[in-house]
Amino acid sequence: MTSPRLPPQLLRLVLLTLAIIGTYSVARVFLTPATFGQFGHYRGAALEEAASRPPVYAGAKACDECHGDTFAQLTKARHRSVSCEACHGPNRPHVKNPDIVPAKLTDRHCVRCHLADAARPAKHRQINLTEHYPNEKCLECHVAHQPNQSK
Amino acid sequence: MNSFLFLAQLGVETAAPHVEGFAYPNEQHVLWSILIVIYPYITGLVAGAFIMASLVKVFNVRALAPVYRLALLTALAFLICAPMPLLLHLGHPERCLQVMMTPHLSSPMAMFGFVYAWYIMAVLLLELWLEYRHDFVRWGQTEPGLQGALYRLLTLGARDVSPEALKFDEKLSSIVTLIGIPSAFLLHGYVGFIFGSIKANPWWGNVLMPVIFIFSAIVSGIALCVFIYTELNWFRGREVDDECLDEMGKFLFYALLLDFSIEGLDWLHRLYSADESIHVLKQLAAGKLFNTMLVGQLFCGTLIPLLLLGSTQVFRQQIPRFVRRRIYYFSALLIMAGVLLMRWNVVIGGQLFSKSLRGFTTFKFELAGQEGWLVGLTLMVLPYLILWLFLRVFLPAKYDKVGHSQGPLHSAV
Repeated sequence: MTSPRLPPQLLRLVLLTLAIIGTYSVARVFLTPATFGQFGHYRGAALEEAASRPPVYAGAKACDECHGDTFAQLTKARHRSVSCEACHGPNRPHVKNPDIVPAKLTDRHCVRCHLADAARPAKHRQINLTEHYPNEKCLECHVAHQPNQSK
Repeated sequence: MNSFLFLAQLGVETAAPHVEGFAYPNEQHVLWSILIVIYPYITGLVAGAFIMASLVKVFNVRALAPVYRLALLTALAFLICAPMPLLLHLGHPERCLQVMMTPHLSSPMAMFGFVYAWYIMAVLLLELWLEYRHDFVRWGQTEPGLQGALYRLLTLGARDVSPEALKFDEKLSSIVTLIGIPSAFLLHGYVGFIFGSIKANPWWGNVLMPVIFIFSAIVSGIALCVFIYTELNWFRGREVDDECLDEMGKFLFYALLLDFSIEGLDWLHRLYSADESIHVLKQLAAGKLFNTMLVGQLFCGTLIPLLLLGSTQVFRQQIPRFVRRRIYYFSALLIMAGVLLMRWNVVIGGQLFSKSLRGFTTFKFELAGQEGWLVGLTLMVLPYLILWLFLRVFLPAKYDKVGHSQGPLHSAV
């Protein structure tokens, strides 16, 4: 009595399937990051990497050390809840070396918050750029650190 | 009163020139653009071409046997290109492997990877291999050089071409096709599912979405086969098989009729139930999408082909053969363009209106760049180039004897 034999083409397909699954399994071992799954469904080392990145913001306290007058003005004005670096950008290099001059502000910085947008609260001051003194610079009339005052 | 006029009277409007009415800041730019339009278009062509091939195998429509292999090769050429738009859109194609190495059930992209892998390996390549094994053995013996070596390699060493072995191939192939139909539905239904499951967007969030995508996929796949079959025969200077073309035209007509009915049903349902989004959707359809949806998709891509193909069904005997051929070819082109526009209307249209249902943004199509005309065009042409290569190697003119007889029935005897 002969034992039932797997048709040759089916045998090839089974072998090929096993080879593909095997390759995937081996690739998984090598391509899965070592710390994957340490804390959850992500690379555990990513936390450490993120924490070890050098900070780029100096913080308002650092600004106050040299620019006390301006800082005092700001804290009494409507913009008091806006951090210095929210407009001036991250400036840790400038704190370390004052010769590194921060980028100059333009009108685009103002309209980031004050461009008319229906999604903003109605009490928030907003302007339509095409109607509100379109050819003038914001700072020609407004004082950024004391926005309730005009020049 | 028109809500936009009302808002304008209040003096509340956004200053951004590309925005009309209310639009939240994160809605002003269309983030899914041409690449995400092409992706469902290509997967749809794959699913459609495969289902077209399965008509021969599962439903035994013998008149379509001449396009069986062509349809499978077409599906494969397009399937190879299916993930490319996504990889390009992500901007980090090398990361695609990671999603497969550490998959998560909550990640649609990871699941797509497995659905795709299943479809290409367990369905399409397997069915092609079983279909071609006999010929690979034959051609491997007669073809010289590299091409012969390639054929011999592709037999995977299974060189038994006895009637019993071929019968077994045929049986296994039928089973694969049976599995392949739900798989093709899964592959493309998945695309509709991605859009349909976004319930925050009334243009997308709809249970009919996967069904609409599947039917438009079948329509576009059959149209692609009509187009390629006609072109191939013209290119090889050979007469087309009119019986086959008539049969394809018949299936194309009925598939298009079904697709049109389901999409019409969707619109009727939306209009009758008239939930709070209906006003913005009507404005969208009649405004921003007027050309692509009403003119392109509905009129040119659906109604004209329905009329043309319908006439061939009713007056087949009266319409001369050469006119019928042109009708099928022209309808196929219109349908393919219409389905591409349907993808455009779904993907781009869904991002043109604000979630406030009170405003619109504008989509500007760039020429160069990651999501520009040029990349889109390249991705649309690439599957045809791959198919051309496949046809040279796997459907060479000298073996594709009549263009009429190849097919599963041929290799089974």
